[in-house]
Amino acid sequence: MAVNKEELKQKILEYATKKAKHKSKMYIKDLYKADPSAKPREIKNAANELVREGKLEFFSSGSTVMYGVPGYGKGVEEAFEEGEE
Amino acid sequence: MADVKKHDTPMLEELKKGPFPSFVDDIEAKGLKGKQECLDLLGQLELSYKHKETHWKHGGIVGVFGYGGGVIGRYSDVPDMFPSIAHFHTLRVNQPASKFYTTAFLRKLCDLWDNRGSGMTNFHGSTGDMVLLGTKTDQLEPTFYDLTHQMGADLGGSGSNLRTPSCCVGKARCEWSCLDTQAICYHLTQEYQDELHRPAFPYKFKFKISGCPNDCVAAIARCDCSIIGTWRDRIRIDQKAVRAYIHGELKPNAGAHADRNWGKFDIQKEVIDLCPAQCMWLEGETLHIDDSECVRCMHCINVMPEALRPGVDTGATILVGAKAPILEGAQLSTLVIPFMKMEPPYDEFKDFVDKVWEWWMEEGKNRERLGELIQRKSLQEFLRVTELKPIPQMVKEPRSNPYVFWSADEVPGGWDRDIKEFRKRHAA
Repeated sequence: MAVNKEELKQKILEYATKKAKHKSKMYIKDLYKADPSAKPREIKNAANELVREGKLEFFSSGSTVMYGVPGYGKGVEEAFEEGEE
Repeated sequence: MADVKKHDTPMLEELKKGPFPSFVDDIEAKGLKGKQECLDLLGQLELSYKHKETHWKHGGIVGVFGYGGGVIGRYSDVPDMFPSIAHFHTLRVNQPASKFYTTAFLRKLCDLWDNRGSGMTNFHGSTGDMVLLGTKTDQLEPTFYDLTHQMGADLGGSGSNLRTPSCCVGKARCEWSCLDTQAICYHLTQEYQDELHRPAFPYKFKFKISGCPNDCVAAIARCDCSIIGTWRDRIRIDQKAVRAYIHGELKPNAGAHADRNWGKFDIQKEVIDLCPAQCMWLEGETLHIDDSECVRCMHCINVMPEALRPGVDTGATILVGAKAPILEGAQLSTLVIPFMKMEPPYDEFKDFVDKVWEWWMEEGKNRERLGELIQRKSLQEFLRVTELKPIPQMVKEPRSNPYVFWSADEVPGGWDRDIKEFRKRHAA
């Protein structure tokens, strides 16, 4: 189903921000739930655009890439720089 | 000597003593030329040997701006002891198809990496990328700029992306190749740029292209979609050359095993009897092949390359679902399309890939490879979504389950039954 991209981005961002309060990193599949009527590829394209705009951020586990919301949980670099002795 | 500090590494010293070239020597030599990262790396490795656990942490950073792959973040968890490798990120650089490049390109790449990173490389990573080992976060963007603007190179795939497609040397150097492997590899790389650079999938996805069933890139054993060259006409036979092999005028395997005396070449024992399909026979000194039974093992062609050659009506066999995890070992891919012509612009193949991806993106669990999804949901389901007709070659073993599962649309009227109508004929 064709979905308005801006609307979809808004839905993803709202969903991710809500979810980030409990779990700061999510898989692309989690974002599918933001709009079950949208196709996975539409979600992927919209989520990637949000990353380019700086509203979402990537986080790598080493082998898989996850999405995070800037400001929630540990950021990409700080996760490795704080609290280590 | 450059102003660098060498750590005390008695255990690593032991590794220098063996008969083989030692990576310790190489890394140390590089370090003593002024790369403290190399010496710190050895220091941390010594510590890991001592503690019997790794001191690397990985993850976090994924790439440069706009990319969701190509960089693998790595950090030391003992940065106070080894400050120069506090960050030690890896960059994957997309290799040219078949890994053809000039020495000028390699020199330039090494100069760039000496300038921007540790100077250490891994040629090549398992997927084929040129791997640049060890740099700091603030050097990622400048390295990427140099790579793209000065070298015309791009980052490869990592994370939940399409991984860098790779191929064998193909027709460039191999007479057996049934496909223009470089053209396919390059085309797929360009076509799927978005999937290559931005996370799209539940997990990694790999394409590999081999020109013939010898499968020199081991596509059948380690990639989610294997494209393997084949032919659908007959193996070309030069009977004169067959006789030359029989009489010892030509060396079997093009002389590859000629350094030892294996005795006289015996075509019956070394070729015909070893044919897994038993589809070859000799009449006098004339070789016959029942091509309809040939399973493309390539043995006869490998042993007698001057006498036998692949056919001329060439294309590809498409298989899906292989993976090669280190701990569990390889799962081989499953044949799904016995023959596809694979001619540019490869629309038939890309239509197939689109259907596969759509299904996998929808149904695949996090970190589930395509082969695992097919195992979980059944090959039957895979064939349904890809609209492929089941064929005998897909059958792995005789059916052991006595039940046949029909889907609703395969049964007249589906599963809906009128219970009252039923009860008229069958008492409760």
